[in-house]
Amino acid sequence: MKNIIEITNLSKIFGKFTAVDKINLTVREGEIFGFLGPNGAGKTTTISMLTTLIHPTSGTVNISGYDLLNDGVDIRNIIGVVPQTFALFPELTAQENLNYIGKLYGMSSSKIKERSKQLLKQVSLYTYKDRITGVFSGGMKQRLSLAASIMSSPKILFMDEPTTGLDPQSRIAMREITQKLNKQGITIIYTTHDMDEAEKICDRIVIMDKGKIIADGTSAELKKLMIPDKVLEVKTEKLEKETLAELKKMHSVTAVHEKDNGILNITVKKDEHIFYELTDFFKKRKLFLEELKYLEPSLEDVFVHLTKKDLRD
Amino acid sequence: MKEKKRNMENEKYAEKILNFKKIGAIIQKNFIVLTRDKTRLIPLLMFPLFMILVLGYTTGNIPKHIETGIVIQDNSALSQSIQQSIAQNQVFTIKRVVSTEDEGKRLLDEEVIKVLIEIPPDVGKNVAEGQQQGITIIVDESDSAIAQTSKQTITSIINQLSNQISAKKIQEYQKSVDASGNSLNKYINAIPNDYSKIYQDTKASAKAISKTKTVLDNTAQLYRLSLPQPILIALTTETITEYGSNQTSNKNGTVILKNSPGYNSLAAEISVLEKTSGILDIASNNLNSAVKTAGQDAVTDAYLNDNSYQKNVIDALSHIKMFSYVKANNLLKPLIVVDQSAYGNGLHAIDFLMPSLIALIIFQSAVMGMGRAVAGEKREGSLTRVFLTPTSNITIVVGTLLFYVLFELTKTILLILFSIILFHIHIEGSLLLIALILTIYVSVCAALGMIISSRVSTEQQFMAMAMLVSIPTIFLSGAFFPVQAMPKTLQSIAFFLPVTYAGEALRDVMVKNFSLGLTATPIFVLLVFFVVIVGGALITFKRDIE
Repeated sequence: MKNIIEITNLSKIFGKFTAVDKINLTVREGEIFGFLGPNGAGKTTTISMLTTLIHPTSGTVNISGYDLLNDGVDIRNIIGVVPQTFALFPELTAQENLNYIGKLYGMSSSKIKERSKQLLKQVSLYTYKDRITGVFSGGMKQRLSLAASIMSSPKILFMDEPTTGLDPQSRIAMREITQKLNKQGITIIYTTHDMDEAEKICDRIVIMDKGKIIADGTSAELKKLMIPDKVLEVKTEKLEKETLAELKKMHSVTAVHEKDNGILNITVKKDEHIFYELTDFFKKRKLFLEELKYLEPSLEDVFVHLTKKDLRD
Repeated sequence: MKEKKRNMENEKYAEKILNFKKIGAIIQKNFIVLTRDKTRLIPLLMFPLFMILVLGYTTGNIPKHIETGIVIQDNSALSQSIQQSIAQNQVFTIKRVVSTEDEGKRLLDEEVIKVLIEIPPDVGKNVAEGQQQGITIIVDESDSAIAQTSKQTITSIINQLSNQISAKKIQEYQKSVDASGNSLNKYINAIPNDYSKIYQDTKASAKAISKTKTVLDNTAQLYRLSLPQPILIALTTETITEYGSNQTSNKNGTVILKNSPGYNSLAAEISVLEKTSGILDIASNNLNSAVKTAGQDAVTDAYLNDNSYQKNVIDALSHIKMFSYVKANNLLKPLIVVDQSAYGNGLHAIDFLMPSLIALIIFQSAVMGMGRAVAGEKREGSLTRVFLTPTSNITIVVGTLLFYVLFELTKTILLILFSIILFHIHIEGSLLLIALILTIYVSVCAALGMIISSRVSTEQQFMAMAMLVSIPTIFLSGAFFPVQAMPKTLQSIAFFLPVTYAGEALRDVMVKNFSLGLTATPIFVLLVFFVVIVGGALITFKRDIE
């Protein structure tokens, strides 16, 4: 597969703050490219630069043969962006919103009519096309936002956390549409907080932290990064903050990830007698230890391991 | 088939600098958004109307039907016509007519009346004798609107009456001077039989003319006495020279004096009187010489041989002719208003105030309306989506500005209609010229709002920034406080505010009925603002969404 986006030494500095620090990346044509990282990692800044919304401080970007700095108009012609917010006009109907975006692209009225009908059907909003969008549910708004973003039939679609704040059903619907679009040949750059989601739909994943790319590969490749470590799942009662801190200080423990219902994922160094040490730890504190077992590492564990941060922090 | 192929190849959309179709789309979108967003539309429409209502009533409404009392102390026709003129004016409603000042003052104390107008005793007889009579107005100063309006109105009523009387009197003088001149005509060509009759007639004519001259001289003297004293501006010595001329100095230093308000107009009237009197003086001198000739023993010789009598009479007649052309009204002032304010030209305060008020309200409304235009759409992200389309900055700015300019102009028309209905303001000048001024000014205001709006990222920040320009505009617009009375530093701030020039241009056209040529200066300054601020809006509008 050929590269559709090539990023070389791309940086963005706001005053004294380096938001993006000399990153190098390639996106291949036709893939769903997962872009992960905690808040403030520099993902949105990177996406804003790639979509011509802000100027890079340094570095070069080539998008489908066009240079980011010189061919802004050409690039805007081949990309679509689904922003984090609705970013359409709640006072307008679904149809009117699409008409407006179509006109700003300079599309003809007949083309707008044809394309919007097709897209509204594709995102299951055709029956609601003449409703004011202000009363739409979150999922409907996001689907309309997606339709607006692909009005001009882009080759590349940037999706900035498109499922954040949606109910599970809407998430699934959104994911399905995304995969369908990808099958139609659109390259997708997908930013998300949801590890399961990334694991499910992304062909390749990049993890960004503090303005740098810290991991790049398929889901399986990233998990291999965990090899020196193992992950234990511990089922116990809800722990105090102090107890958690002490647990993290144990010399064989590299990370502790607190999940729901008193379940902890503890990353430990390989070849340690950690089972004994951990049971002793809980026994001493008179804490009830229900279950203790080795786990196959998840992408979330990889993330926590690499960034030392919880994804939703 | 071709269409489909292009579609598959990913049709390329060009970005023109100025795309009118896209501008149209932006205008249409803004129109739908605004008309559907009632919570925003209604306040935006109501704001200027509410402002003009509150400000119009609190600052410059003309009171009507003010309860008035009149003191009439004689039974002359003049007293009655003064009373009638007051009664016919809708500012005053005559509640009581009394015959003594004390009685009138009591009514004022009891608040039965708000204004007392006192006609002096024997006013008819005194005016007929050529004396000046003062009509006194006593008004409760605590209500400044009533005080100001009633003083202005009574001044204009009395001035009108005074002019009428003056015209009538001067015309009488002109007639009698004419008649006495004409009576001598027959002696110029015909050879008289009775020289003593020539002598008598000539003497009578000279006397009649000099009597008229005395009336004018007395009036001029009266005016001179009432010339206001100049105001002392600077004094560099302890002793002031006695007032003699406008500017005077003494050996120890310099005294700088400035004419008081009203000085120039009165001085001009004195000069007209003096000139007229001068004409009559020449005529009467000529006739006096003729009288001398007619009275001589060798009268026949003088009359027949050297024609000196005829020459003098012809000269006198030409000056009498000149006198008959003198404008008759306003030359004499038989009636004046005592306690009149300087502001007495008959126009209502609201007419002066309204242009500034309208300029101020347009400014507030147009600048504030732009908050959502850029900052709001930036916050909501919809502007970002527009940035992602191949639409140039200029197209976005022009489209957005054009919509708001059209919207604000519509509001302005409503505002003016509203103030015509509510405050009965008069529009004297050309509506086309007013529309031109408003279009330039509204564009300036909207573009200013746009510049602020595109420099900030939320509507809250916008409000804070907009206050910076709106506060000086409110206080220096001239709508509430006269700018001329402010310290120089504040006046120089007003120099940089568009509202100053819009108010001036609107006043020139709306009130003074100036043509484009006469009000060119403020319109030119507004055009400069237009170029700078609209240009600024185009340049400062950045795509970067940092």
